[in-house]
Amino acid sequence: MSRVPIVEIEDLTKIFKDSDEPAVKGISFKIYKNEVFGLLGPNGAGKTTTISILCGLFAPTSGKVIIDGMILSGNAATIKQIIGVVPQDIALYPTLTARENLEFYGSMYGLSGKDLKEKINVWLEKLGLTKAANRRIETFSGGMKRRVNLIASILHQPKILFLDEPTVGIDVQSRNVIIEHLKELNAQGTTIIYTSHHLEEAENFCTDIAIIDYGKILSQGSPKDLIANTPGSSNLEDVFLNLTKRKLRD
Amino acid sequence: MKNKLWATIKKETLILIRDKIGLSILFIMPMILIIVMTLIQESAFKTINEKGIPIVLVNDDQDTLGLTIYKGLKNSSLCFLTDSINGKPATSESARAAVAKGQFLIGIVIPKGATQAIRDNVSGLVNATLVVDSISTAATEIKADSVDIIFYIDPIAKKSFITSMTSYMHEFISTVKTQIMFQTFSAQIAELMPNNTAAPKNTYSKSQIINYKEVFASNLTGEIAPNAVQHNVPAWTIFAMFFIVIPLAGSIMKEKKDGSVFRLYTIPTPYLLLINGKIIVYVIVCLLQFLLMLSVGLYILPMFGLPALQLGNSLMAIFIVALSASFAATGYGVMVGTLASSEQQGAIMGSLSILLLSALGGIWVPTYVMPQIMRDISSVIPLNWALEGFYKLFFRGAGVADILLDSLKLILFFIATMSVSSFINGLKRKI
Repeated sequence: MSRVPIVEIEDLTKIFKDSDEPAVKGISFKIYKNEVFGLLGPNGAGKTTTISILCGLFAPTSGKVIIDGMILSGNAATIKQIIGVVPQDIALYPTLTARENLEFYGSMYGLSGKDLKEKINVWLEKLGLTKAANRRIETFSGGMKRRVNLIASILHQPKILFLDEPTVGIDVQSRNVIIEHLKELNAQGTTIIYTSHHLEEAENFCTDIAIIDYGKILSQGSPKDLIANTPGSSNLEDVFLNLTKRKLRD
Repeated sequence: MKNKLWATIKKETLILIRDKIGLSILFIMPMILIIVMTLIQESAFKTINEKGIPIVLVNDDQDTLGLTIYKGLKNSSLCFLTDSINGKPATSESARAAVAKGQFLIGIVIPKGATQAIRDNVSGLVNATLVVDSISTAATEIKADSVDIIFYIDPIAKKSFITSMTSYMHEFISTVKTQIMFQTFSAQIAELMPNNTAAPKNTYSKSQIINYKEVFASNLTGEIAPNAVQHNVPAWTIFAMFFIVIPLAGSIMKEKKDGSVFRLYTIPTPYLLLINGKIIVYVIVCLLQFLLMLSVGLYILPMFGLPALQLGNSLMAIFIVALSASFAATGYGVMVGTLASSEQQGAIMGSLSILLLSALGGIWVPTYVMPQIMRDISSVIPLNWALEGFYKLFFRGAGVADILLDSLKLILFFIATMSVSSFINGLKRKI
């Protein structure tokens, strides 16, 4: 069966104001439907910049982005309907309850009434948050916040889900629940594009991985292919260190 | 779209209601401010308006001029006159010392022989007019006025008070001089006329020809006296409405800080709609603040012995000014929130700019006591447009038509601030 690209990036460059070096230097790659795509790299490699451009947060300096057959520039409003974004920060209102946060974000995706309430209840149940639904976010643990952060982005069943380090700073239990439900979403047809520093997690979770450093894609392929094609590597961490070297990053 | 707007309004309302400190800044602080400022300023208003300027008079003359000045000042509403200090009759030295201490704004000393000096002067004038050339030159010699009425002035006394008092003095001296002249002429003519016929003695007092009639130019025929309540309630209400900048800018900054803005930019809802939700909530808050502050003026301040606020003739006009001021304040808050790059920066920028704008806009001190250059600056400050609107309504009995220009300026200011915010926001996203 031929694979259908859902995200196509061509020669993408981003130079921030007051910066000498481009954050992203003419990168090109494709992400196919139903993939779990991992964009991995050290700090400052260009992962968040790339994800931010794909989400329509800001425009690239040059290059072309096609999402689900639509050029991003000019179709941002339509594209935003089919994507979900889980930001690296906990993008929730701390003084609102989990349910109030989810009702607000669900409404912003056009959901309303009974449908919205049902979806919220289902996801709260799946991620073990039903009892805490009416508690304010500010009283939640890090793991609980991460789980609500995820639900806020998937209530509208997006075609493509962008996750920027969704499991950072949480316990193993919360991480496992999140990954488990991301796999479930993927099985239901959602393409997942995700960044992480957890290389073992990425190795087990992703179907395709691109390693980025200094704004350039160093290598791309399935975890198995990457390990096989990088000499001296027995796992993804070896691949990562062999490609990005051991120099400390800012 | 309606659902999204409603969800935004609900979210903003919940966040605001749960921010107890923010709410106290919005509602309790201005209430306290209005009560305190009005009480402080009311005593100053009372000193000047009701009791008058405190003046001590030293009447060393004890004759017509001294008595005329004493009676004139005693009956004047402009001043609160006394001729004793600490229970002892005032002397030139004690009056000077009391004024120096700030016990009185002005001290007036009528020297001994002041009336006699006027009599001598008048007598010379009358003789010069009536007596023929054959009379000796000594008899016709006109003695010049040599009476020095001393004014001790407290340096804080306003120039206008001093000018008023010197005008009073000129008027009293002139009256006494004319009276003496009239009496002297009458006596001289009586001596010259056959059968000792003289002018009737009370003719001078009946000779008042020009009277003054005070007519108020506005619709409110003067029943609303300018007092601390009429100034402070609208002034500090406007201040409170514009102080909404701090929680509003803070709310925008919080969304930037906690990453919500990242998600908000990636959802299929225009950012303008999200901002509109904020604007609606904060405009309603401004109107609630306005209602609360009016209630303070109407019901709370009278409990402190202050006069109740009088609202003028048009409730609709009051609502229009309040609504347009609410939009102007909210627009300014959005602009500060967009310009600032941290919560602290937003709070400092917001509070300092509102303090400055309120000083320039006539909130602290009414513009009519400002020098011309400051009045010119004040005329371009939005807080002053709102204050002017309320002044027209509360003092001059104006109607809707009279405040439309002020309201229009406030709405244009709102549009301008929103345009700047939109432009800056666009620039920031083009990083």
